Amino acid sequence: MAGSRLERFGTVFTRVRDLIRSGVIKPKEKPLWYDVYKTFPPKRAPLHVKPVTSPSAKKQEIVPEIFYSEDKIRTGFYEQYGRGLRALDLSKSNFVSTCQRFVDKYRELKSHGMLDKSSLFEETGKALLKEGIILRRRGAPPVLAESRDPVLDLKLIDMLAEQQSAGTDTTKTTEDKNS
Amino acid sequence: MAVRALTRGLLGFRYSRAATVASPCGGHHYVTAPSAKPPQPQAGDVTEKILNQPLEKADFFRVAELFSLKDLFDARVHLGHKKGCRHRLMEPYLYGCRLDHDIINLDQTMEHLQLALNFTAHIAYRGGIILFVSRRRQFGHLVETTAKDCGEYAHTRYWQGGLLTNANIQYGPGVRLPDLIIFLSTLNNVFQQHVGIRDAAKMNIPTVGVVDSNCNPSLVTYPVPGNDDTPAAVELYCRLFKMTINRAKDRRKQMELIHVLPVNFLKARQMFT
Repeated sequence: MAGSRLERFGTVFTRVRDLIRSGVIKPKEKPLWYDVYKTFPPKRAPLHVKPVTSPSAKKQEIVPEIFYSEDKIRTGFYEQYGRGLRALDLSKSNFVSTCQRFVDKYRELKSHGMLDKSSLFEETGKALLKEGIILRRRGAPPVLAESRDPVLDLKLIDMLAEQQSAGTDTTKTTEDKNS
Repeated sequence: MAVRALTRGLLGFRYSRAATVASPCGGHHYVTAPSAKPPQPQAGDVTEKILNQPLEKADFFRVAELFSLKDLFDARVHLGHKKGCRHRLMEPYLYGCRLDHDIINLDQTMEHLQLALNFTAHIAYRGGIILFVSRRRQFGHLVETTAKDCGEYAHTRYWQGGLLTNANIQYGPGVRLPDLIIFLSTLNNVFQQHVGIRDAAKMNIPTVGVVDSNCNPSLVTYPVPGNDDTPAAVELYCRLFKMTINRAKDRRKQMELIHVLPVNFLKARQMFT
């Protein structure tokens, strides 16, 4: 069957249409998809687009950055409390993370009338603590369950010095005993 | 227009030459009666009617019912790659960029997916050969089983250079090429565009392809902007294509029964009077 293998020139449809028009492809040999394409064309004709080789100019951001107003609250939360204690579970679509609860509480308190940003932060932290969510401040030393074993603080030099002094004492005592 | 019935290969991974079989409505074997009686509807007219009737409605196979925006969101179809991987031609399809992650515009995906599924359904209705292609090894088995379940073909292995362009020599003379190629991922294993897209355009075969934010959508006839890496998303696409193709084929059988039976009845009556 006749065909046109020029994929960079026109679309699949335009090539077949022109071949039919010129008589190279007989109407009986029309491809199966031709009528369907004609009735339901795609949104954009599948023309080949030449790749841009020159690295010149353009560079205009057409894709917008997505930011929300709650992002400011979120940055404040992450700065103060670090990554948060509870891991995010993204497999559930209705999962509410610690940060999200903070944000919701913040907005609730703001709607009640408080205006000062720092006090709002404090209040939100306290409110969440009341609800049972522990927030650990970032940069604070980690809290230890038990104190360090005093044995670990001993240094080898001190131990040797002790042993030497103990050794001289014992020789003295044995001398006393012998004599 | 003659209806081409096909004998499908048992393996389903190669396309074999269609032997000319008697068409389901038996168009070739009737002898037209002398003109004393009013002209009975020709078998050819019936076939044409069957073929053209679906084209009159916008969504004859009701493919828009098969999916919703929430389904796409839950399957994480909107997640693209990072900003650095973005292809410049995908920019119109992106909703935005959240902390360097590209988010695909699902409203546009809905429209494109509806067009793509509709086209697939019409091709399957007309008895076209559909070839599923994906070079992602993670989903190779899934794609092959999808193709098997709808009675179509799949090619998830290494694409030899002359598969489409040199088919007559590689597979023997007079091979029937696919009428539609569906790409579940338009990239090959080295993140370049799959050769099949260019080859299909060369051989005047329309393509439907899932294009991610790092793919080139320009040569794909019906691109579907969406995630092609997440298993949930690919399973969704496979399920949708399988359902559309099966629906279209069932509809075809129904239409043949509705339209051909009265014609057969009339012909039989005519033969016996």
